[in-house]
Amino acid sequence: MDWTPYGPHAALVRFADEMGDEAFARCGAIRAELERNPPEGLLEFVPACTTVLLEFSAREVPSLDDAMPDILEQLQMAAAVALPPEPVKEIPVIYDGQDLERVARTHNLTTAEVCRLHTEPVYKVYMLGFAPGFPYLGDLDARLHTPRLATPRARVPAGSVAIGGQHTGIYTVDTPGGWNIIGHTPAKIFDPARRSPDNDEAMFLLKQGDRVKFVRNNGP
Amino acid sequence: MSAHLLEVLDPGLGAAFQDHGRAGWRRFGVPPSGVMDDHAAGWANVLLDNPPTAPVVELLLQGARFLALHDCWIAVCGADAGASVPMWRAVRLCAGEEIRFSRIRGGVWTYLAVEGGFDAPLLLGSASVYARGRLGTPLVRGDVLLRTPGAPFRLPASVAGRSVAWEERRNYDATPLLRVWPGPQWDLFSEADRAALCERTWTVTPQSDRVGYRLSGQPLAPGQWQMISEPLRVGTVQVPEDGQPIVMMRDGPTAGGYPKIGVVDAHDVARLAQCRAGQNVKFRLAAQAVG
Repeated sequence: MDWTPYGPHAALVRFADEMGDEAFARCGAIRAELERNPPEGLLEFVPACTTVLLEFSAREVPSLDDAMPDILEQLQMAAAVALPPEPVKEIPVIYDGQDLERVARTHNLTTAEVCRLHTEPVYKVYMLGFAPGFPYLGDLDARLHTPRLATPRARVPAGSVAIGGQHTGIYTVDTPGGWNIIGHTPAKIFDPARRSPDNDEAMFLLKQGDRVKFVRNNGP
Repeated sequence: MSAHLLEVLDPGLGAAFQDHGRAGWRRFGVPPSGVMDDHAAGWANVLLDNPPTAPVVELLLQGARFLALHDCWIAVCGADAGASVPMWRAVRLCAGEEIRFSRIRGGVWTYLAVEGGFDAPLLLGSASVYARGRLGTPLVRGDVLLRTPGAPFRLPASVAGRSVAWEERRNYDATPLLRVWPGPQWDLFSEADRAALCERTWTVTPQSDRVGYRLSGQPLAPGQWQMISEPLRVGTVQVPEDGQPIVMMRDGPTAGGYPKIGVVDAHDVARLAQCRAGQNVKFRLAAQAVG
């Protein structure tokens, strides 16, 4: 584990070199540690697949060089103990995406085989990012890895289930996007209306560290 | 007591509530949002003795019109959008008076504050509108803006004479010199590219908005393009495959997969924000200036 400055009062900690089970386990443990025992002066943290950003108060943490050795030690100890796995959340998918046939052709598969390969694994939510509540899901079957579109679409509707490179994910808001759309889900992954006064997090159906399985649904 | 203060006659090219932004939600993919120019918005609140967290209306360029429904004090700071009221000072509006922002002359974002602050709904701890994420909605014709209810509000007697000192009124037409800190992939760029970032002049392109400001100039070329997505900050300078830097702004994505050559100093993001398409900017390495 090491760190690099990311502006005067922020550090980017690298806890893994590549994605995979180990990076996923470490990320979850580090996130839980930062939630439970935030270092003094920490304003915000943002975990990603192999890195975590720490932003500090300039007043409380005047020198990153002084503060970071202890924090790295704290995170290293936390990362050594994996959290128990989260229960698997099922997400219904209707495989009717506009790129489904092209993805199948690219890999010499039938569309039915694409659905089967996509519904088989238990995926991990490596991180939320890009858009509110958007889950970066791994590990996608290597036979489905598909490069992003050269030119992103101006609008991808919320609920679109898509493949981008080695990830699969679910668009949570209407947004421009370049992933290959293979289907859609009626599940609301991000819904501002779902919050309650004492639980803002209820807006987000999935969180970093969750496990997800897609279930084929032929419904409307 | 909440009062009906202003009616939106026309939102112009864009009008929405913003405040200091939402903290702590980037790990859920929610950008911080908040005012694009915290210097100008801050002065609008200071003029009226409002708390620094009070929501203001952020106007994009020109075209907005409001009708005063009630006598009230307001302050307008930021871009010169041809306001029909004096800027950078506390102004008394009378019921029935109209304020117009007819033609942009300098800058991009103008801020409208009212005494006591606007009553705007909070979502995830902030009134900042992030329309794409359905956190709040921009203002539309016919919206009625209220003052924050609650504490009785009394402006000090001296408010009528209050104005912002001349040296604090920024010239948005000048070429800003933006302090930039080395980013996580600083070493991925050649020495020549690192030097070029600060020596060259960059032009703000029309593809610039609350998400990011795209710059154009002689392209940069990092040693590697493909990366695992990493967190982005407000001010992060990403270099995508065309070599043209993008500075991430307040509604920007929370993670991205392009090399990050630097981060614009938090104090200078506001200066970039007020640059219009076609305007030039320059960078200066912050680490050298310190020490």
